[in-house]
Amino acid sequence: MKKWRYVIKRLIRTIPIVIGVTLVTFLILHLTPGDPVRIMLGPYATAENMAALRAQYGLDQPLPMQYMTWIANITRGDLGTSIRYNRPVTELVKDRIGITLTLTLSGLFISVTLGSLLGILAALKQNSWVDYLCTFQAMFWISIPGFWLAIIFLYIFGLQLRWVPIAGLTGFVSIILPALTIGLQEEAWFARPMRAEMLGVLNEGYIKAARAKGVRYYKVVGKHALRNVMVPMITMLALRLPWVIAGSVVVEVVFAWGGMGSLLVNSVLARDYPVVQGALLIIALSVVAANLLADLVYSLIDPRIRVEGGKK
Amino acid sequence: MSEELRKEIANLKQKKTGQMYLTWLRFKRNRLSVIGLSFVVVVIFIAIFAPFLTPYEPFDTNPFRRLEGPSREHLLGTDELGRDLLTRLLYGSRIALQVGILIVLFEGFIGISFGLLAGYFGGWVDEIIMRLVDILRSFPVIILAMAIAGIMGQGLFNVVLAIGLVGWTTYARMVRGKILSIKESDYVEAAFATGESTVSVILRYILPNVLPTAIIMVCIMMPTALIASATLSFLGVGVQPPLPCWGSIAAAGRDYITRAPWISTTAGIFIMFTVLGFNFIGDGLRDAFDPTSKRN
Repeated sequence: MKKWRYVIKRLIRTIPIVIGVTLVTFLILHLTPGDPVRIMLGPYATAENMAALRAQYGLDQPLPMQYMTWIANITRGDLGTSIRYNRPVTELVKDRIGITLTLTLSGLFISVTLGSLLGILAALKQNSWVDYLCTFQAMFWISIPGFWLAIIFLYIFGLQLRWVPIAGLTGFVSIILPALTIGLQEEAWFARPMRAEMLGVLNEGYIKAARAKGVRYYKVVGKHALRNVMVPMITMLALRLPWVIAGSVVVEVVFAWGGMGSLLVNSVLARDYPVVQGALLIIALSVVAANLLADLVYSLIDPRIRVEGGKK
Repeated sequence: MSEELRKEIANLKQKKTGQMYLTWLRFKRNRLSVIGLSFVVVVIFIAIFAPFLTPYEPFDTNPFRRLEGPSREHLLGTDELGRDLLTRLLYGSRIALQVGILIVLFEGFIGISFGLLAGYFGGWVDEIIMRLVDILRSFPVIILAMAIAGIMGQGLFNVVLAIGLVGWTTYARMVRGKILSIKESDYVEAAFATGESTVSVILRYILPNVLPTAIIMVCIMMPTALIASATLSFLGVGVQPPLPCWGSIAAAGRDYITRAPWISTTAGIFIMFTVLGFNFIGDGLRDAFDPTSKRN
C-alpha cells in the first residue's frame, strides 16, 4: 500500500509543474519588448489588420483573461491556428510528430544500447586501454555540435559514398544516419553511469560469491549485475530525454525530414507564434509525462521495494 | 598514484601548502586535462592576436574569388562572398569566447543566487525556486532558447539572454546541494553563535566554500554554452552574418557542401577543438577537486 501512496503523491506533485509549463509557454510570447501583433505581421501591417488579428487571438483582453481562454481552448484540444499555414496547430503537429518520435526513439535506442555496451566493456576491462578509449571517444562525441556531425555524415555517406539518401524520410536506410548522429552524441551519458554502476556491483559480495560458486562470467554480468544497473539507467533515460528531443529537432532539420523540428524552426523564423507555443507545450508536456513514468517504473523495479512484495 | 607524487604531497602537507596547490598538482597529473588546457590557451591566444595572425580582414569580400579552394594565398580557401575563410575562423574565436563566457557568467549568476537562496532559507523559498527549476527543466534547453531568441530577435546579447534564462537550473541545483551540507557545519554555527548577521555569514562563510563548486560548474557548462550558441546560429536565431561566428559559418557552408566542403568542415573543427579543450579541463577539475571521484 505504501507504493500506492507514493504514486498518488507523485501525481499530485506533477500538477504545479504542468501549470508552470503552460505559464512559461504562454508568457514567452509576451517576452518581446514590442507588440507581438506588429512582430507577427511585420512592419507594413495596416492598423485594421493589426486590430483584426488582435481580436482574433484575444490579444486585446487583459493578460490573465488571455491565459484562461488559452488554457480553456487547450483542454478542448484546440491549440490555435497557424498564421502561416492557416491551419489548426493540432493538425500541423499531428502530421509531423510521428516523424520526430521515430527519430527520438531510434536515437534513444542506439544511445542506450551503445552506451550500455561500452560502459560494461569499460568496467570489465577497468584501467586498460579499452577503458581509456571508451572514455575518450565519449568525450569526443559530446564535443561536437549535433548539427555539424549531421552535416559531415550527410557529406561522407550521402554525397560521397552514396550509401544513404541525402534528404527526407524514405524507408529504413534513411533513419540510420540521423539516429546514429543522436546515438553517438548521447551514448556518453549512458556509458559513464553504466561503467560506474558495474564497477560498484562487480565488487559487491554477492557477485564475488556467485563467481566463487563457479557461475560463468557473462552469466554473472548478465543476471546479477545488469539487474542492479537498471535503476540508475532509467533515471538517466528520463534526465536525457529533453536533450534527445532537442537533438532530434536539430538533426531532423539537417536531414530535411519535415517533422516537428523544421515546423518549429520555420515557425520561430516566421514568427508564427501559435505554432511555436503549441509545439513547445507538447514537447514539454511529453518530458513531464516521461519523467512521471520513469519515477513510477523506478518505484516498481527498485529491488528494495520488490522485497516487500515477497518476490525473489 | 605514483610513489613520487605521494612523497610530494606528504612534503607539501608538512609545509601546510594550500589546498589550491594540491588541487593543481592533481589536475596536472591528468594528461588529458593538461592537453585541454593547452587547447583553450591556443584559442585565447588566437582570439587576442587575430589581427596579427592574418593579413586579411574578416569582412572584406571579393566577388571574383568566391568559393575558392585552399591555396597559398588563402590557406583555407574563400567563402561564398570571397572572404578569406581562415581569417573569419580566427576572428570567430572572439565571438565564440565572448558569447560562451557571457553565457556562463549570466547563467552562473542567476543559478548561484537562486541556489544560495533555496539552500540557505529552505522552506517555501526553496519550494518555489526548486519548482521553477523543475518547470524549466521540462523544456529542452536548445528548443526553449531558440523560441526566446526568435522572439527577442537576432543578436549576440539576445543569444546570451536566451540561453542564460534557460540554462541556470544546473547551477542552482548544484549550489543548493552544496549549501545544504555547509549549513550544517560547525563553522557556520559558530559564526551565528558569535552574533554575525545572516548576510555576513552568507558572504563570508558560505559563499567562499561554494566557490570551488561554482568554478568547476563554469568549466563544465562552457561546452554546453558554446554548442548551444553555435546551434542557435545554425538554426538562424543566433549570432548572424556578417559577424564571423563558427556556428553560422558551418551553417552557411552547408549550402555549398558539394562545391566547397572545407567551409563547414573547418568551422566545425574549430568548434570541436575549443569544446574538447573545455571538456578535458572540466573532467580534470572534477577529479582534482574531488579526489574520491578518481577513476580507481
